[in-house]
Amino acid sequence: MAKAVVMPKVGITVESCIIGEWKKQPGDLVAVGDVLFDFETDKASFECESTEAGVLLEIFFGPGEEVPVLTNVCAIGQPGEDVSALRPASAKTAAGTNRAATGAGISIVTGQDRAEITGTRAGTPEATEVVPANTTRGGDIFRISPRARGLAERAGVDPREASGTGPMGRVIEPDMRRLMKEGRPEALKPVQPEGEYEEIKLTGIRRAIARAMKESLATTAQLTSHHSFDATGILRCRAEFKAAGGELAGVTLGDMVLFAVSRTLKSHPDLNATMPEEGILRRYRTVNLAVAVDTPRGLVVPVVFNADKKSLIEISKEVKELAAAARSGGISPDLLYGGSFTVSNLGALGVESFTPVLNPPQIGILGVCSILQRVHEREGGGHEFYPAMGLSLTYDHRAVDGAPAARFMQELCRNLENFTALLVRG
Amino acid sequence: MPKSLFVDPVATRAPGKITFTDIPVNRYNKTINDERARYSDGDFIRIFRDIAICREFETMLSLIKTQGSYNGVQTTYPGPAHLSLGQEAAAVGMAYLLGIDDFTFGSHRSHSEIIAKSLSAIDKLPDEKLLKIMENFMGGRTLRAVESLGKADSVKELAIRFILYGTLAEIFARETGFHIGLGGSMHAFFLPFGVYPNNAIVGGSAPISTGAALFKKINRKPGVVVCNTGDGSLGCGPVYEAMNFAAMAQFGTLWEGDMKGGLPILFNVFNNSYGMGGQTRGETMAHDIAARLGAGICPSQMHAERVDGYNPLAVIDAMGRKLPLLRSDQGPVLLDIVTYRYSGHSTSDQNAYRTKEELEAWREHDPIITYRRALVEAGVAPDAAFDDIIAETVERMTRICRHAADKDISPYADFVADPGVVERLMFSNLHIPKLDERAPEYTLPKEECPAYKKIKSKVRALTDEDGKPVSKMKAYNLRDAIAESLIDKFYEDPTMISYGEDVRDWGGAFAVYRDMMDALPHYRLFNAPISEAAIVGTAVGYGMCGGRAVVELMYADFIGRCGDEIFNQLSKWQAMSAGILKMPVVVRVSVGSKYGAQHSQDWTSLCAHIPGLKVCFPATPYEARGLMTAALNGTDPVIFFESQRIYDMPERFHEGGVPEEPYEIKIGDTNLIRKGDDITILTVGAALYRAVEAADILKSKYGKNAEIINLHSLVPLDYSKIVESVKKTGRVVLVSDACARGSFLNDVAQNITSLCFDWLDGPPAVVGARNWITPPFEFDEFFFPQPGWIIDTIHEKILPLPGHVPVSSVTEAEQERRLRLGV
Repeated sequence: MAKAVVMPKVGITVESCIIGEWKKQPGDLVAVGDVLFDFETDKASFECESTEAGVLLEIFFGPGEEVPVLTNVCAIGQPGEDVSALRPASAKTAAGTNRAATGAGISIVTGQDRAEITGTRAGTPEATEVVPANTTRGGDIFRISPRARGLAERAGVDPREASGTGPMGRVIEPDMRRLMKEGRPEALKPVQPEGEYEEIKLTGIRRAIARAMKESLATTAQLTSHHSFDATGILRCRAEFKAAGGELAGVTLGDMVLFAVSRTLKSHPDLNATMPEEGILRRYRTVNLAVAVDTPRGLVVPVVFNADKKSLIEISKEVKELAAAARSGGISPDLLYGGSFTVSNLGALGVESFTPVLNPPQIGILGVCSILQRVHEREGGGHEFYPAMGLSLTYDHRAVDGAPAARFMQELCRNLENFTALLVRG
Repeated sequence: MPKSLFVDPVATRAPGKITFTDIPVNRYNKTINDERARYSDGDFIRIFRDIAICREFETMLSLIKTQGSYNGVQTTYPGPAHLSLGQEAAAVGMAYLLGIDDFTFGSHRSHSEIIAKSLSAIDKLPDEKLLKIMENFMGGRTLRAVESLGKADSVKELAIRFILYGTLAEIFARETGFHIGLGGSMHAFFLPFGVYPNNAIVGGSAPISTGAALFKKINRKPGVVVCNTGDGSLGCGPVYEAMNFAAMAQFGTLWEGDMKGGLPILFNVFNNSYGMGGQTRGETMAHDIAARLGAGICPSQMHAERVDGYNPLAVIDAMGRKLPLLRSDQGPVLLDIVTYRYSGHSTSDQNAYRTKEELEAWREHDPIITYRRALVEAGVAPDAAFDDIIAETVERMTRICRHAADKDISPYADFVADPGVVERLMFSNLHIPKLDERAPEYTLPKEECPAYKKIKSKVRALTDEDGKPVSKMKAYNLRDAIAESLIDKFYEDPTMISYGEDVRDWGGAFAVYRDMMDALPHYRLFNAPISEAAIVGTAVGYGMCGGRAVVELMYADFIGRCGDEIFNQLSKWQAMSAGILKMPVVVRVSVGSKYGAQHSQDWTSLCAHIPGLKVCFPATPYEARGLMTAALNGTDPVIFFESQRIYDMPERFHEGGVPEEPYEIKIGDTNLIRKGDDITILTVGAALYRAVEAADILKSKYGKNAEIINLHSLVPLDYSKIVESVKKTGRVVLVSDACARGSFLNDVAQNITSLCFDWLDGPPAVVGARNWITPPFEFDEFFFPQPGWIIDTIHEKILPLPGHVPVSSVTEAEQERRLRLGV
């Protein structure tokens, strides 16, 4: 009997995904674990591996279609089998177009006759029909052992990139060990460019970013203001942390800015907010700081939840873990949603000021810039150089006006200039 | 089959006939005046008073169950009330001559027996002894509650209140009851007065009482045992088994010296004509008059007699004639005591099976009327004196009922504040190597015991001192390990006895007892009849009286023949008695092979399911030696499984073999057989050796290292080392020869899943025998787990083994198919 493969649920908050490219076509022979198609959420992209073995009989949704999770996306079985019962009502598939030719004569070897081996005497009509060994039976879920899942979480590796060799294609511990040691199985090599240019079809995260950024600029009223503060204090702090060694040595200037933002936002609730729909401002009771992370596959923005309740060390460690997970691709999709404010740090790349693009539906995003030497008047006369760090705040004018946004930045700068006092306050 | 008894073909084939002597029926015909030499007026009146007390107790319970109220005391309770209304005179007559060394056992309908026996004891005991008994019982808790009733005129009055209150509080499930309420109506008793347990299983007391009589005889304890039972119980096989056991010919032919002679037990049938609603005379039973059964048991006809239980003096008279027989080793005795119950079987009984006329007719014979009238007519006391007795009885009962119902005076055990109330009582967990201080009796000293000498001559490891492999004949094996522990105990604990089918001359069907008979007197090692219920049931009685018994069931398959004795009696008495009783009994059970469907089953799971039993199944000599020693030093019931496949197995795993000096293995421990990192294999019983084969293949063919842990104990079971291993390997397969469905291994698998879930790399997989009858031995490999099955299961369910081609079908679909068909 034909079986369906469903759109996987890749995170508790994910309700639907968009199909990218189908890697298998109707009529293709499919084994459990073969990649059927890729798909994306608005934050990340994934590949869907087959949970069934047989012939791909029908594809219910084409590229670009948005499919609710756990909905049947295709049917796999023996040529000629009826799949109508598996076809979801929402499928637009025209009859026949996405189906395998019937009666193609492809047979799947699923096992061998064990009648004699298991002691059943064949030859009589009543002979017990023993279900043969080696028959893989599909399931509707991504199969992974608890042990392998635990290992993946601890290592920050996406277990979906492992090829499951356990029973029913289950990802088991050896698969994770192999993945961690040897990396993801080699993907398709890009086609050699020919002619004047190469055309690359955007996939996965790149496409998601493209869509999100365009939507951001098209649907919000964003403007940016630039500020700077005297970084003498945080540089001294940083030097002291480094000298102290241990965990403290890992605390970066960026972490300190995050810490200060998490504390400052508490008294500026309009900025620690999102606008889920026009006319509604959702002010958060905790600060869930989204942190932009540059990854080989594009920008990923994981969230440090309850940052206002976390210490500097805790924030510093968590950001490192999140960044590592984001870079390896093993980050849980659940950690990519739910931010109330974003911080994007380009200071290390020498950016003096920039206009960060809002991460909708958030109201604010802070850009962290590089440190420049500026001059100010010395007390008691004369001038002196001091290290000034730039900060660029983009905010949604629909929710916040210029003066309150500037007051937030003033307080943030003051806090950063008096960082020790902020630390003491917790 | 002793050689000393010649089965003479001439005598056996000789013509002749069996003759019987007449069985007396209701022969007692004396008047009050005839009996004045035997009883004082006070005695006559006390007999009436005891009947009245029992009657009022049952009347009170009847009213509480049916009306929720007794003399203004509003209360009720949900438990049972199988009342003996109408049977009190028989109970008082039974108890009248008995002392505290005489033990009574009862049935589900025994309130009157408990009270009558206690009243008899109270009358006989001096005040200071009574006070001491009450003060010492449960740390005086029951006495304190009784004292709240107000000052008693005398110690005896205090004791009467004590026994009535303790029994009622027990029935009401109160902490101040005789067993903190855990026994209840059908399991009440009071050992200091010689009142042993009554029993909710019809006929359940028969084998237990017989075991108590065996204890008295073998340990030379004073007193007799009275097994009070009902006519309905005579239809139960174990009752017949018990009577036959009690009358075994060997007591006269083979037991020697002062051990010669029958068991001091009286089977006392309170015959109320009904087994629940079935009429035993005329409908459900064949004997017509129950006393007839004695003639079918033994040549003495069990000195059987029918006695009119509606005349207390007739019962006392009969007891007076039977007790000397019992005390002079001429038991057993059977009394068929005619009585009648006015109440239903229980309070929900609609009396659909009898007429009002019948009830009325019996009421006219009610001893509480007729015996009283006879006493008045004989001038023992004026009629008004009996009114006074009844008034005093009612008044006492009312106050006791009020106090027993009062939750402040008679609180329930607090399961919230102390959730361990019952938990603590399930096992006694004591370590008492000798249950009596006297010297054990034997016919040869230990060093000369042929069995002991043979065992000591064996090599206890796989290789001898020169490193050469030991031949099978010379190797100390699992059988030797069990035998050696038994011998040690025979020479240490004087109460230790052992019996079963063919254990003495034959040495047991599997030779565990071989060559012990010459060293032990008959009474310490004897052949039992083929009566599994009596074998285990008597051990229960022997154990609860304070002796250590080891009994053998030739095949585990015979557990069915003693289901009640193992599942309801052996397992439950420690906790039902609130820890007052101990159960130092080991039931050795041999798990067969080769003998087909009714002789090859591993029934460990059945026993493990029943709370209150410790269950062991050693698979190596080292385990067997340590576990049997532990079982024999303990005070808990242990079902000790042994596999016939491996009685000859030497010790292959324990470094240095089996130590010379005795040692104990804690029951509940596990045995790490082999270390490994890739998968844990848990085994029970002889399957260990197939798991070792599988592990060898896993290593040589697939490069996987299996860790093998043998579960020599099923209950209790310390999971710590199992959990440690599974957390390490992430994979576990469990193997035993029990049929997979309902196998104890599923319980272990479930617990592992729960305790190690996040560490698991695959589901714990159980490999058990198929859910079929055991086919003939020629097809063993199709039924019992094989090394190949273990590897297939690992490959298909947990960790695919590259290149492995399964030989069995263990797919999910096949699993579901078998489940669907129930095979």
